[in-house]
Amino acid sequence: MNTLEVKNNIQYSGEGEKLAASIAMIVVLVSFSMLFASLFLAYFYYRITEPVWPPMGMERLNLFVPTMSTTFIILSSISLFGFNHYFKEANQLKMKLTLALTIGPALAFMGSQLFLWESFKNIGLYASSGIFPSIIYSFTWIHVAHIVAAIFSLLWLVPISLKSEHTFKDENVVLNVGKFWHFLSIIWLIIYFSIFVF
Amino acid sequence: MAFYEQHIHPKPTTFLSKYIFSFDHKMIARQFIWYGILGLGLGGMMAMLIRWTLSNPGVPFPVLGNLFFPMSGGVVPPDSYAMLFTMHGTIMIFYAITPLLIGAFGNFCIPLMIGARDMAFPAMNMLSFWLAVLSAIILVASLFVPLGAAASGWTAYPTLSTLIGSPGVGQTLWAIAIFVLGISSTMGAINYITTVITLRAPGMGYFDMPLTVWGLWLTAILNAIFLPVLGAGGLLLVFDRVFGTQFFLAGAAATNGTGDPVLFQHVFWIFGHPEVYILILPAWGMVSDILSFFSRKPAFGAKATALAMTSITILSTLVYGHHMYTTQMSPLLTQTFMTLTMTISIPSAIFFANWLGTLWRGSIRFTSPMVFSMGVVFVFGLGGLTGLYLGTVTTDLYLHDTYFVVGHFHYTMAASVLLGSFAAIYFWFPKMFGKMLCEKLALTHFWITFLGLNGVFMGMMMVGYGGMHRRIYNPFIYEYLEKLIPLNALITTAALLMGIGQIPFLINLVSTLFFKKEMAPDNPWEVGTLEWTIPTPAPHYNFKNIPVVKCGPHEFGNPNLTTGRDFQYQTEELVKG
Ligand SMILES: [Cu+2]
Repeated sequence: MNTLEVKNNIQYSGEGEKLAASIAMIVVLVSFSMLFASLFLAYFYYRITEPVWPPMGMERLNLFVPTMSTTFIILSSISLFGFNHYFKEANQLKMKLTLALTIGPALAFMGSQLFLWESFKNIGLYASSGIFPSIIYSFTWIHVAHIVAAIFSLLWLVPISLKSEHTFKDENVVLNVGKFWHFLSIIWLIIYFSIFVF
Repeated sequence: MAFYEQHIHPKPTTFLSKYIFSFDHKMIARQFIWYGILGLGLGGMMAMLIRWTLSNPGVPFPVLGNLFFPMSGGVVPPDSYAMLFTMHGTIMIFYAITPLLIGAFGNFCIPLMIGARDMAFPAMNMLSFWLAVLSAIILVASLFVPLGAAASGWTAYPTLSTLIGSPGVGQTLWAIAIFVLGISSTMGAINYITTVITLRAPGMGYFDMPLTVWGLWLTAILNAIFLPVLGAGGLLLVFDRVFGTQFFLAGAAATNGTGDPVLFQHVFWIFGHPEVYILILPAWGMVSDILSFFSRKPAFGAKATALAMTSITILSTLVYGHHMYTTQMSPLLTQTFMTLTMTISIPSAIFFANWLGTLWRGSIRFTSPMVFSMGVVFVFGLGGLTGLYLGTVTTDLYLHDTYFVVGHFHYTMAASVLLGSFAAIYFWFPKMFGKMLCEKLALTHFWITFLGLNGVFMGMMMVGYGGMHRRIYNPFIYEYLEKLIPLNALITTAALLMGIGQIPFLINLVSTLFFKKEMAPDNPWEVGTLEWTIPTPAPHYNFKNIPVVKCGPHEFGNPNLTTGRDFQYQTEELVKG
């Protein structure tokens, strides 16, 4: 009962609420950026203090699965841009289509990460096998934990795509879920290029 | 200013919605106050056990010793001693001071002082409190696991904190508890930052905000930026302990390329130095306000104080290396960090001078919030000055890891922050709970606490200068420390005195809350900030009509005032001659 009342209280009925939500979202993203920045600081610290990289006894990793993951997440991000566009136009059909093209590749990304861990295990690469696998496992774990949360927030868009009339609250959700998802795409690209490719 | 007007939500009626899962920032503030006072009690008890051991090693702790340590006949054993100082530090910093100043007064003051009806996101506010409770439960549970709680110090340096140094599950629970608390505080910070930006009452510019709100806001910004850094360090530590990754293992313990224990120190202090300011900034803000309120004159250089606090906030992000001079850092780096650290003296000196300028020729009212604030000025001065020796490479190499450091950081982030919290409790208590605390008991509380804490921390700096190492279990077995035994006994006596000094505070709290009938007036301190324009205790919607702000928070002693008061409310047009 109380929940309902308060939800009523912060109904997004105007520009002010929208601005407040975006400010909060920016702070959230700054916080998450600092989390990942600390992880990358650790990575670069190890990389420059190690005489060779990957460390002795390790080989470069096969790029096939990580590249698949990259393709999926870029596809998903681009579709989400499309969704945002059609949301503004209130084009219901294209909204549904682009949302499906967002969530589908998002799930494929999750799958490809599971496959990645599996393929490491098959070649005997475990989290405890040294600093290089420690980094790869930990960074992908933390990133995937965020991806799981983000996929749930993408599901929030499904009822919105089914409606023909949209409120400010809906606009808010679309905007902020989008920001979160694109942020995670960018983080993945940094992981992909800095850890897997170079 | 306000970006939008919050609706008045209906009054909560059930016990659960009013007292437990409350969305009301004032109720959450009260929840945090009890949380913080419990933390203070627990951490304080641990401090007593630590001090007792240092002056009477091998002697059972009186009365309660047998209850805590039945196996050793009431004597604190060495391994438990390490757990005690670890948990004392952790509890005092994260579970006592943080909930009191940031959780309780951040929640209470921000909306009331800027003229808002609640935080921008009340549901997230409630979630933040309950996550903090969850974190406290995890931490307290870690006291009861096999092999005991974390024992690697509040800094949790590897390799002490890896499985090699702490094999038990206690250290893992410690890291998880801190991580959960980090999420809770970050949620709080997101709320505070957004609320201050978007919900200031019409007419209230940033420089019309009370300095309390400035301090809390800057703290929230530091929290949002740097808590995730600690979170990352804690996560990697948990991975090392649970999943066998090798971030902080070096040498033989690691295979195929090594981890590095020193990396944790970097990550920890990138967060840890700002954390000092996270704790002290709210107290600075409150003291700046309270000094002006009870000197009955405008805060001297209020704008400069706000800007000085802002520049300290920025500088605090650049100096963390001064905690790591002894880790074989390159001299070029140590000197850079030293110079940057010394630069902080400039803004610190500015607002310190402003405090003195506020007091200068004021018609001072020696009320309890005022004496506690003046106590902050004194102890913070001492703490700040002794920091110079630790920020300087040449002296730090000798003082590092001695009791001088312990004395110094207790002056800055324990003594001054504690006195600041008490000032805040005495000052806002009538608006929070509707009743005035007893002034006589409050002043007794002040003097015993003040004398006690100076005895403790001044004594600590002296034994540290004399060469006593921190985290030592039994100073009596070292020949070179024998001459310091009487001084250690004196410190312990002062600590017990300080502990006893909290009894008048507790009596005051209980008797006022449960037995005092008389309600406090709406504006007992005769102060003009927005929270004093509404009835006592504050109604659940705070402001019936959102106030319009027309002047600053410190308008005292204006000779043109004709209202018969010596102050004016922020809702009144500034009286001009
Ligand atoms: Cu520092």
